[in-house]
Amino acid sequence: MDDRVLLFDGIGQDFPSPGQRSQIRVLDGISFEAARGKFIAVIGPSGCGKSTLLQMAAGLLLPTRGAVHHRGRKVTSINTEVGFVPQQAQLLPWKTLGENVELPLVLRGVPAQERQKRVDDVLRSVGLTGFEQHFPSQLSGGMQKRGSIARTLVYRPDVILMDEPFGALDAQTRMVMQSDLQTLSMEAGATVIFVTHDITEAVLLADNVVVLSQRPSRLLANIPIDLSRPRNMFEPFKNPGFAAAYDAVWTEFRSQLQAGQIH
Amino acid sequence: MREVAPRSSLASAGGGLGAIGEKALQWLVKLLPGVALLIFWQWASGRLIKEIYVSKPTAVVARLYELFSSGEIYPHLWITGQELVLGYVIGVAGGVLAGYSLGRSSRLARIFEPYVMAFYGIPKIALAPLFIIWFGIGIGSKVALASIMVFFLVFYNVFAGVRSVDRELVNLTLIMGANQRQLTYHVFLPAAAPFVMLGMRLAIPYSVIGVIVGEFTSSVQGLGLFIHEASSTYDPAGVFAGIVILLGFVTVANLIAGAIERRLLRWRTLSGSGPIDA
Repeated sequence: MDDRVLLFDGIGQDFPSPGQRSQIRVLDGISFEAARGKFIAVIGPSGCGKSTLLQMAAGLLLPTRGAVHHRGRKVTSINTEVGFVPQQAQLLPWKTLGENVELPLVLRGVPAQERQKRVDDVLRSVGLTGFEQHFPSQLSGGMQKRGSIARTLVYRPDVILMDEPFGALDAQTRMVMQSDLQTLSMEAGATVIFVTHDITEAVLLADNVVVLSQRPSRLLANIPIDLSRPRNMFEPFKNPGFAAAYDAVWTEFRSQLQAGQIH
Repeated sequence: MREVAPRSSLASAGGGLGAIGEKALQWLVKLLPGVALLIFWQWASGRLIKEIYVSKPTAVVARLYELFSSGEIYPHLWITGQELVLGYVIGVAGGVLAGYSLGRSSRLARIFEPYVMAFYGIPKIALAPLFIIWFGIGIGSKVALASIMVFFLVFYNVFAGVRSVDRELVNLTLIMGANQRQLTYHVFLPAAAPFVMLGMRLAIPYSVIGVIVGEFTSSVQGLGLFIHEASSTYDPAGVFAGIVILLGFVTVANLIAGAIERRLLRWRTLSGSGPIDA
């Protein structure tokens, strides 16, 4: 069997531009792949269409050119075999944390007894045991985010798509979440596509960092990060080889930032 | 700052008893304007204005007692009650159904929204004489009038509620594996619930207006007819007695709606308690 779980094959995307006949080209021929259990960070300047790639993998959007293949199957409709962790936690406010995490299992027809066990397990692994009866509005931002991740892990998708999931968190919570995500994704053995604009975060978490250019986005580089795991999320520079890896990504990314200043 | 400190220490020292006292005081303050108005009414009647125009609270109470003890009012109550409940239920059901289906389907919404908008602009009261012709002078015409007034209110609230559902929330639930029926049950209905409840609450007084206007226009029985007859026979106490009964209807309906709302929207009231940090 093919080891490439997720394959982006020559993705191009045009969006109609407001008030004009012509289309804006957002993505231009982007190809990369994610092997089983690998953590891929996608990094690029804002507005470059990073999130659009995730929407395509989830089947929410069809690319204008090219295709996304999930385990060899072309994604053409909503892809229920992936998990999606959005920027905001997006737990359903009318359901308790327990009900929220249980929802994917309910939707998939998992028997009640097994549901209970799997919800308990996943809540324990994200450190939210005892908060089952709380509504999302009663939880802090970090806890909501943990709930959102638990809701994805609970149905064990083999690909997890994360769209700047820690962008809205404060610095401390963020480091803790990054550290926990490293552990969780290693345990789950899932392939993760993690969109971010934070180089440190990308280098610390990923096996590969995919660097995109400004619009129209092309793939600038696909840089393997060979740092040993587990990595220290709290003191990045204590990881042997971090500086070199950061530098490799930064060299590619820098050109885009300078181009951005001229605009 | 100096003024705040002693007050807070007093409140904490007061404990449970202080809280009860405070609540009673709040009620008293709330009741005060109403009582003052009644006293002024009682005093002014016959002194500032002729009693034949405005009656007075004691006369209204006496009239109410007379109406209930003689049983004269019961047939009116029965008819108006039926009209209110039927009109309200039909209007709400229609409004929820139409609002939901138009809210979910943008194609339906594109076709029908202009029509609904146009009909919304019609003063429904102007339809009363027509409805009498169409549905007769029995309860049919009043039910129709009340339900059409209720319908539009509920319709617009539900429509807006369903449309306001976060697209990302819908997409996420689809990725989690929801089919359309599950999407309705787990996302759209709960998301629209606050709007449905708001529409249902707003619709209560409108159903009363619809029924009473219908009865004013033409009827054989009902509170509206009773009020109409009282006013045409220079019986202001009777008019006010009828209004007090309607007030009772609305108050009871509001209490019921409030209780349902608190139950259905528990997740909303709880959000006031603020986030906790772990």
